[in-house]
Amino acid sequence: MSYRVVVGQGSCGIAAGAAKVYDVLADALSQSDVTLHIAGCIGMCWLEPIVDIYCDDALAMRLVKMNAEAAKAVADACKAGDLSALVPYAITEEDAAFLSQQTRIVLRNCGIIDPESLESALQAGAYTALSKVLSAEDGMSPEAVIACIKESGLAGRGGAGFPTWFKWNAARQSAGEEKYLICNADEGDPGAFMDRAVIESDPHALIEGMLIGAYAIGAKEAVVYVRAEYPLAIKRLNAAIEQARQAGFVGQNIMGSGFSCEFRVKAGAGAFVCGEETALIESLEGKRGMPRLKPPFPAAAGYWQQPSNINNVETFANVAWIINHGGAAFAAMGTERSKGTKVFALTGKIKRGGLVEIPMGKTLRDVIFGIGGGIRDGRAFQAVQMGGPSGGCIPAALLDTVIDYQALAATGAIMGSGGMVVMDDTTCMVAMAKFFLDFTAKESCGKCVHCRIGTKRMQEILARMTEGKGEAGDIELLEELCLAVKDGALCGLGQTAPNPVLSAIRYFRPQFEAHVMEQRCPAHACTALLQYHIDADACRGCTLCAKKCPVHAISGEVKSAHVIDRSVCIRCGQCKASCKFGAIIVE
Amino acid sequence: MSNMITMTINGKICQCEAGCSILQAAAINGLEIPSLCNDASVKAYGACGMCAVEVLDNGSGKPLPKLLRACSAKAVNGYVVRYDTDRVNQARKIALELLMSDHIGDCVAPCSLTCPAGTDCQGYVKQIAQGDYHKAMEIVKEKLPLPASIGRVCPHPCEKQCRRGLVEAPISIAQLKAFAADRDLECDTYRAQCAPESGKRVAVVGGGPAGLTAAYFLRRKGHAVTVLDAAQKMGGMLRYGIPAYRLPKPVLDREIEEIAATGVVLQNGVRLGEDITLEQLRSDYDAVILAVGAWQSMQMGCTGEDLEGVIGGITFLHDISSGEGTRPDLRGKSVAVCGGGNTAMDACRSAVRCGAENVYVIYRRTREEMPADPVEIAESMEEGALYKYLTNPAEILGENGKVKAVKLQVMELGEPDASGRRSPVPVAGKFEVLPVDMVIMAIGQKLFPEGLSGIALTRKGTIAADEATFATNLENVFAIGDATNRGADIAIAAIGEANRCADVVDSALRGAMQPVKQPFLSKRVVTAEMLADRLKIARCQMPTRDAAVRRHDFEEVNLGLTEETARAEAKRCLECGCHDYADCKLIRYANQQEIHPERLAGQKRAAEMERKLECIERNSGKCILCGLCVRVCEEEAKQGILGLVGRGFTTVIRPEFREAATIAVCKECRKCVSLCPTGALKLLEF
Repeated sequence: MSYRVVVGQGSCGIAAGAAKVYDVLADALSQSDVTLHIAGCIGMCWLEPIVDIYCDDALAMRLVKMNAEAAKAVADACKAGDLSALVPYAITEEDAAFLSQQTRIVLRNCGIIDPESLESALQAGAYTALSKVLSAEDGMSPEAVIACIKESGLAGRGGAGFPTWFKWNAARQSAGEEKYLICNADEGDPGAFMDRAVIESDPHALIEGMLIGAYAIGAKEAVVYVRAEYPLAIKRLNAAIEQARQAGFVGQNIMGSGFSCEFRVKAGAGAFVCGEETALIESLEGKRGMPRLKPPFPAAAGYWQQPSNINNVETFANVAWIINHGGAAFAAMGTERSKGTKVFALTGKIKRGGLVEIPMGKTLRDVIFGIGGGIRDGRAFQAVQMGGPSGGCIPAALLDTVIDYQALAATGAIMGSGGMVVMDDTTCMVAMAKFFLDFTAKESCGKCVHCRIGTKRMQEILARMTEGKGEAGDIELLEELCLAVKDGALCGLGQTAPNPVLSAIRYFRPQFEAHVMEQRCPAHACTALLQYHIDADACRGCTLCAKKCPVHAISGEVKSAHVIDRSVCIRCGQCKASCKFGAIIVE
Repeated sequence: MSNMITMTINGKICQCEAGCSILQAAAINGLEIPSLCNDASVKAYGACGMCAVEVLDNGSGKPLPKLLRACSAKAVNGYVVRYDTDRVNQARKIALELLMSDHIGDCVAPCSLTCPAGTDCQGYVKQIAQGDYHKAMEIVKEKLPLPASIGRVCPHPCEKQCRRGLVEAPISIAQLKAFAADRDLECDTYRAQCAPESGKRVAVVGGGPAGLTAAYFLRRKGHAVTVLDAAQKMGGMLRYGIPAYRLPKPVLDREIEEIAATGVVLQNGVRLGEDITLEQLRSDYDAVILAVGAWQSMQMGCTGEDLEGVIGGITFLHDISSGEGTRPDLRGKSVAVCGGGNTAMDACRSAVRCGAENVYVIYRRTREEMPADPVEIAESMEEGALYKYLTNPAEILGENGKVKAVKLQVMELGEPDASGRRSPVPVAGKFEVLPVDMVIMAIGQKLFPEGLSGIALTRKGTIAADEATFATNLENVFAIGDATNRGADIAIAAIGEANRCADVVDSALRGAMQPVKQPFLSKRVVTAEMLADRLKIARCQMPTRDAAVRRHDFEEVNLGLTEETARAEAKRCLECGCHDYADCKLIRYANQQEIHPERLAGQKRAAEMERKLECIERNSGKCILCGLCVRVCEEEAKQGILGLVGRGFTTVIRPEFREAATIAVCKECRKCVSLCPTGALKLLEF
């Protein structure tokens, strides 16, 4: 009986303290025959740091919310050969259900294999699909690869949902000697971290998918455009590329097949618009990241004006699985129109947030209430924002919406790249819309008028509303601007920027009206609109609130009811937090 | 022929080679699809959103769901394209409103905006600074055919708004105009070309500033114009209301000659209602413009106004101006002039010149509230006029039917009234008796409605004329100037109405009357702090004849500016108006439809002025980020000196830091300046 201890070391785990846990374990286990390894991210953010104990290659125990003290206990238990002392740290059945309800293709190895070890990846089956494609005896032609992807029904997972085979085929058919395959790993949506997890946890899955894509379109050079905010992903990806090169999977004459493909990683400087494919190409060429006019599309004239194909990380991470299992197996999952699985980053006011991979066709309720366990702190579900700043919100009434591209689009939201932000009834939907417009207005590249000035004006109107300065007609003006910007903006960033506003107005119009007509925020979230006062019957005159008030807005005699001077009150909420009698009323 | 495309754009069948954009296809076929960021010399960019077009038929009977950018969308056989549909106009309107909501600049300088006639003060002042008086007159005479006269008499509201006033003192705009006009009248006088004869005939009744101006501009537009005036000579109030010491009549004569030289027929001694009727004029001419003025002095309504020796200000001035023979002899007499406006000034100073021993100006308020030009007040005092502030005639006392004295009610200032001036209130029981031989009522004028049968009047007794078309109730009869609506105003106001009326009448004569429309203009607010870095340069002083001498005659008081003084004065101009207004594509498009950028008002970018490239001034407030300068520098000039900096709303275009050698390149190249669709880039003279 031999133990293998694996510490989850994704960025999220490290942020939660996984590095410390690892150091303690390394120290304690150094003289033992218990081996210590790292893994990437299993996707259960609320349980990090996570330590898995394998016994004879089978998962014996998953321990959660680890710390230095717990790590010592783990070392002791493993060395003693008795894990029973670790039961208090073990994942609960309820939490474990987070994983058991998922179907993992993209995330198949995440949190399990060692992302820094090629051997670990090979054991998990890495590069078997590549060798199948390049096999001298029964390999696949590029056309056969494209046909297989076509059969699978794989669509672009970056958000647009464009059929992958079509883009590959267009790039393949384009005349030109030099062709490029590009991976968009500029994951910019606030609250989205699917691609980061894949690169940090299973970089060879991306490399293999890209190699197969490069082979299919006839590219000899592949570039991964990763945002510089992902240093660990860049480090592991570069290391993996080097390992793959050493092993003959990357470079000249790969696996003796005559197919050659060079790889490189480009760190993006953090402009959201560089997630737009033509802006990404501009950035790759060393120019300012601004979208190009389409047509021509990148398949005809992309990177250096050569035929180029761009897919995102998740799309490529599906490819090896599809080649290994066949297009039909992939197409067997999902709905009539949307095939396979989709990874979501489930965040917000959810009990169990993290990475979720489910087959298309599940409902939002399955994900939010089944896998995610519903809303935290016993509050009520209000809406879920799909697709980040380019997407829209979906209200409770539509929780049974099926997750596929078309059904989500019909609600006014989008599949998006996988951001799924859950909001409870303390979220003001006007402030939510403003948050996203703050983001897009700042991230606009400034090129086209509609996006540069239009999003700014929309943001200003929303800010007015949340500050109690909204005027009659503002909602209509906002809607008019939304439609104009949607129609007139040059690229996806601007064209989709109005979506969060439009869908918020569509489903939560009374909240907007309350802000504008009554200067009232129903969710009590917009501080400028709040009014604090003290319920004279409930107040015992304890003076605590008056002492806590940073601006001395509260006055009153001991043991008699206190009063808040609203002209002085800065609505910080300290009084409410300090009152033991619930006498502070917020309206 | 296989690589030729045939499509329809705005109903016109257009052909172009395959590969052309819709915008190019339109241009080849003589159609201009609006665009701010496109130019044939650089690649399509797609930033401005102006060139949106709607494809109503994609060649197989179906419309395209989205609007296309004509600069990038390729021409396709069979497309039916329009760029004037409601949807396209709406898209362009929003784009323009967004752009204008973030635009900081003055299309037109505040002086011109304030001038009731909209004269291009900045334009002619600049020409004067450069010593080109002929060119200055070419600019002035686009709005005003009597610059030598008006330059002398105008109370110049333009100067009140002149931003140089925020530095130290306004430009002496009126005097500069008079200076340049005098120079131009001396020789080789500027004469505008008249348009080919239209065959239409217009009668103008009244040869004052309004009538002469309307006649002049209608003549320039090719119409046959006759001016009819009851007086012996043309000029109206300029001749008979303004004393010669302010406006020497030979100057007026010379300017009227210039108007006549364009072919305007001038007929004096023709009085409407006596010598000719309005009906006759209406049947003899295609249009009639009434510019009859307001020639009746208003009365105070106090006892004794019917006494001999009480005279209306205008009547008094008319008598003086009609010639030596009619000029009253006031030697040894005392004269009271009631009123505080410029007519009162003209009357009191004229009375001094007629030999009066004592001349009193009776005014209800104080000097501060006086509407008269402060220079006039000061000069009248130098000449000996005495001011009785805070008094009001209560009664005119007489003896044997003649004026003997005026009884004055003493006043004090109360609360400010609607005009902002503190209103005078009588001090109960406090009076003063001033012995005088003559009382001149200079408190306003009104229309004397002779020969106007059938013309609808306002409740004030003025001719009712439409504000936007100057049309009266009678077809083809228009009315302008002091005789209309709000009544008497300054000459330049009447001139402004006259030149706008000429446009309306011209359009009516050509078949479709176009009402006056205020153009959409970009305006900004400028404060003294923003001009704090300007070097203070004193305003020029007009030299005048000595008061002791001039008070005895009607020779001109002002001696005129020297060329040196005038040019130095003109150089003080801050050039507030945009140098590119005439060529600015943005403002042209903004005026092609009604836009309301104020509804999208919000933060504006900082308006930075930057001169890193020495020969080019870059104004970020006017920049629309079309990127033409950046692209032409990169693609055409192969320099790549310019780049976009920052992101989103605060993006700006800036040059790199460069060596002197690069700056030398810029001095030669200038491509960016010539392509800039707005006034964001300006070539500096060096």
